[in-house]
Amino acid sequence: MIYLDAAATTLQKPVEVASAMAQAVRQYASPGRGGYPPSAAAAELAFCCRTELAEFLGAAGPEQIIFTSSATHGLNIAIRSLVGPGDQAVISGYEHNAVTRTLASIPGVETRVAATQLFSREADIEAFRSQIDHKTKAVICTHVSNVFGYILPIGEIAALCREREVPLIVDASQSAGVLPIETETWQAAYVALPGHKGLYGPQGTGVLVCGKESRPVPLLTGGTGSESRLQQMPDYLPDGQEAGTHNMPGIAGLYAGLRFVRRVGTERILRHERQLMKQLIPALKRVPGAEVFVPECGSCHAGVLSFRLGGKDCETVSGCLGRQGIALRAGLHCAPLAHQLAGTLETGTIRASVSAFNRESDIRTLTWMLNNL
Amino acid sequence: MVYYLIVCRSLTYAQRTAAVLERAGISAHILRSPAAISSTGCSHSVKIAQRRLAQALMVLKKVELSPRQIYITEADGSYREVRL
Repeated sequence: MIYLDAAATTLQKPVEVASAMAQAVRQYASPGRGGYPPSAAAAELAFCCRTELAEFLGAAGPEQIIFTSSATHGLNIAIRSLVGPGDQAVISGYEHNAVTRTLASIPGVETRVAATQLFSREADIEAFRSQIDHKTKAVICTHVSNVFGYILPIGEIAALCREREVPLIVDASQSAGVLPIETETWQAAYVALPGHKGLYGPQGTGVLVCGKESRPVPLLTGGTGSESRLQQMPDYLPDGQEAGTHNMPGIAGLYAGLRFVRRVGTERILRHERQLMKQLIPALKRVPGAEVFVPECGSCHAGVLSFRLGGKDCETVSGCLGRQGIALRAGLHCAPLAHQLAGTLETGTIRASVSAFNRESDIRTLTWMLNNL
Repeated sequence: MVYYLIVCRSLTYAQRTAAVLERAGISAHILRSPAAISSTGCSHSVKIAQRRLAQALMVLKKVELSPRQIYITEADGSYREVRL
């Protein structure tokens, strides 16, 4: 199988991820629930993972790191903490349903979309500038589009939010592991990310980084192993957001994946993914009838792209390639807003996304297959 | 043996506290707080030797980690809160 769907989840993981998870299943109990060694070992591992995540994600400290089950879970906490019924929020034109459906589920929310042009950083900044006003309760912006790999000008958008004193939520689903995440520099209220994509952890893991001043409202309530006599959730982090038993095999796997990323280096991983894109883009453009959606500026592009093949149905093409051992994702990629901006809402696109484990031969095989469909 | 228990508001704070103290050369051990001193239910404490309290408090102040409460063991094994 040639796997080119890393934007959904990275299938190939460093070998140490599975072994760390197996060890966790055998040896770790629940952190903070007992004074015995398997509980203490779990607590130690969770703390090491939090500490390293805090360093890696530019957080103020390990207590600002919340373990979640996915980026979607983290985005739900973040959005529901800042946006209430009847409020107004401003989002980019590339947001995932994790953001748009969550906003739509809050009664009476006005969602303003800051988008005028596809792949224009200047236009994006201007659109945010014109959409944010005194009623805006939160700005929510993806760092990298999960459909096109377009890198949004998050530093500039963060500066604008600081200037207007509006809390910023960053969806780092496609950027964590390839681009620097600077929670405190951006002064972001929240940064949500999955553990199972660019951090090479297992599915069922995610992280919500809370800014120093953020006071998230619990999405789940229950036992935390702390202040058990009280019937309210603890008002401090991370306990206030981590009700229930921790996913220790997941955290162990995430920690192993994170250490792999730090060992290899995000710059090197990004360089590798861009190299593969540099090979794929011209090759795709040579496929008869192909229409490739990528930003012109290479430095605004990460390891994801979308394309269409003339009048061919995207799902049919993707299904055909899947049967021949190539994994691509077709459709709307849970991001109809981005497709609307690109004019591909009716047809969808085929998405190719790469990871540290893809090779040039994968790209050669894909383009050969496309030329011989 | 007489020792101090620094009560922390969460396990993560206890872990941070212990890590900071260990880095400063102060031996620190995390344990679940004895029920007698855990007024709101379960909590975690950091145990340090009696002679290291003053230094420990200075180290913690520098990194803005404020202990919730501090207890000292009595000869009969009970705990007495230390008011600073």
